[in-house]
Amino acid sequence: MSSYKGLTQEWLDAWKQKIAESKEYKEIAKDWEGSVSIIVNAAPDKNLPETAYLFTDYWHGDVRDFVLCDEARALSARFIMSGEYVRWKQVATKELDATKALMQGKLKLKGDLTYVVRNVKTINKVIDLLTEVNTIWPDEA
Amino acid sequence: MNGYAGKFLEVDLTTGAVAGFSLEEARLKKFIGGSSLAASLYLERYNLHADPLAPESPFMVMNGPLVGSGFPGSSRFAVAAKSPQTGIWGESACGGNFGPELKKAGFDGIVITGRSSTPVILSIADGEAIIAAADKLWGKDIYEATDMLKAEDKGWKVLAIGPAGENLVRFSAIGNDKAHFIGRTGLGAVMGSKKLKAIIVRGNKSSGKCDEEKFKAVSKEALQEIKESTFAESLHLMGSDVGMDLGMMNGDVPIKNWTVGEDFELSAKLSGPTMRETYLTKAHACANCPVACKRVVAVKDGPYQTEEGPGPEYETCCTFGTLIMNYDLAAVIKANELCNRYGMDTISAGATIAMVMELYEKGIISAQTADGLVLAWGNMDTVCALLKKIACREGLGNILADGSLQAAAKLGAQGLDAVVHVKGLELPMHDPRGFHGMGLAYMMSNRGACHLQHAAMGMEQGMVSWPQLFEMKEDYQGTTSQGKAMLVFNSENYGILGNSLSICQYLMYCLKPETIRDGFNAVTGFNFEFQDLLLCGARDWTLKRGINNLLGISAKDDVLPKRILTPLSEGAAAGSVPDMQLLRDEYYAIRGLDARGVPTREKLSELGLTELINKLYT
Repeated sequence: MSSYKGLTQEWLDAWKQKIAESKEYKEIAKDWEGSVSIIVNAAPDKNLPETAYLFTDYWHGDVRDFVLCDEARALSARFIMSGEYVRWKQVATKELDATKALMQGKLKLKGDLTYVVRNVKTINKVIDLLTEVNTIWPDEA
Repeated sequence: MNGYAGKFLEVDLTTGAVAGFSLEEARLKKFIGGSSLAASLYLERYNLHADPLAPESPFMVMNGPLVGSGFPGSSRFAVAAKSPQTGIWGESACGGNFGPELKKAGFDGIVITGRSSTPVILSIADGEAIIAAADKLWGKDIYEATDMLKAEDKGWKVLAIGPAGENLVRFSAIGNDKAHFIGRTGLGAVMGSKKLKAIIVRGNKSSGKCDEEKFKAVSKEALQEIKESTFAESLHLMGSDVGMDLGMMNGDVPIKNWTVGEDFELSAKLSGPTMRETYLTKAHACANCPVACKRVVAVKDGPYQTEEGPGPEYETCCTFGTLIMNYDLAAVIKANELCNRYGMDTISAGATIAMVMELYEKGIISAQTADGLVLAWGNMDTVCALLKKIACREGLGNILADGSLQAAAKLGAQGLDAVVHVKGLELPMHDPRGFHGMGLAYMMSNRGACHLQHAAMGMEQGMVSWPQLFEMKEDYQGTTSQGKAMLVFNSENYGILGNSLSICQYLMYCLKPETIRDGFNAVTGFNFEFQDLLLCGARDWTLKRGINNLLGISAKDDVLPKRILTPLSEGAAAGSVPDMQLLRDEYYAIRGLDARGVPTREKLSELGLTELINKLYT
């Protein structure tokens, strides 16, 4: 199985492919509309010198843009999730459930929380599929 | 003394005597307030073996020191008595505005004994209390009675019972201003047994604080923490029913009397987001709460129309929704309104109806026993009819009015796994097969199966993480029993403080423990450290356990019902059941219980519960 450097475009492409290939995702996410940006705060001591901005876009079970982006584009997303690198890594490696991270204030969400709660299965599935991407994290490189 | 009014009201409804008493600071430092203080009085002053509905059994309303201070979330007050539903220690806490008003009226609590020969109300204003006739109120539902009392003066804060309490339904509730309910353990029946229709209160006193400047600073910090809390935001937007979607995914939601593991159509139709998009008219807050998690709803058309009023909590959306296979949120709202008006606990009422629906399906009860009602799953016309019959103790309703455990015995279903309770109290709507720690919390809660007298749900489901208080994980796996005894032990010792300090448990999930401690210290001047507070929590649990031991509770009662030990075949909890023996053995060791389930002498001595040593060991 190929490995990908985390928070790179290749890694995002691999994640996008996992989602696109998932029939279960397509069914669960059939009502989801809109983009989600992920903001990973800079962590120089973890080999992440600059804040990473990721823009991901979903529409009725399909996956659209999945790109590294600048701050302005990240802030244009319908939902914006932000947090420290170590927390994102915990979520992406299944050490910490994303919903729990949000409730405990370890990740922050901007956007319609009601919509997120209604579609929590979709979000969990997207993260589950991320955990299937073999990732070399910046602090492991 | 700062944080306290310094006076408790004592009323004997047999003689009409009204008096006041005070408690020494040492006792307040030991038990703080709320049901903890009530339990200490109960053990010391009253006959534990009296029938819960006998005149000599006390009915107690208790505040804690934060009530009336203005600290965010500090509206809670506790009601306590021997439970007519379970026969053991009973208590239920409530938000709203009664507690703060009682403090303003000059009292930290009320203890009522005796029985009036005719219906009465207790009226408390500015340090004075009088007993007045309530003949015109008797027979009225809670909404009607509250409106009548407020018609005289809108400033009254009201605690009232409905027909269920009057008729001694063993899971009857008490309503505060038509919006907040003391639901669990049937304490409305204790008021009913005393012919006490309502307590009304008003006052103008402000409570003192030890350090006003510090209090202001801590309150400001608390408000900021709440503002930044995603949990608080979710409660404001969707109420407690925000848990429905997440719970269905995590295996927390019980379905069809705990026999089905997953039904996403049910959760979609009954969830907090759905309520917000359909029947919500506004959000409502308890006194001093910036969150406003309470739902105000109205069903304007269709067969289940309601007036605008308090909406169902998550628990009620389960008991009148998922548990009985009802997909219609409007019907849940109607059943909730009926329970509010009649004055019945929505958990016990719904769970008892779920049980009887299962018995009906299995042919254990006949159509004749069912009074001709079609007790089919999801038949909400029948549910509405049955709620009235229960409240009025008519026909089958008279049997069900004693709660599911006693009703099952009368219906020939004793011992069947359709009866889902611990110590006679029906399980709240969180499935221990998805969260084994919750199972242990149910087993060990002192009022029977309870989801609120501890913080196990918040800790095990990952809503909170408090590494500064005790060693704990940020992310527990629900479907394991390993390590859960320590989680539950800690969650009890901290969660209990919500009751004794009088702060909402939801707010405890939004606030840092340091902030709560500092708020408490700024008000009282007690200067407690975390360990002092946790010790008070441990003392509370052990005191109530000792009372229950004296009432006959032992290790044999610390068990989960059969149904919860039967695995589900689908959903997130499929194949999982709590390891009851492991959980209990580990918990007993940590809690200092002997093999009989009785606190050891050493533990009682460590906690300063010498009176219990005398009563349990002589």
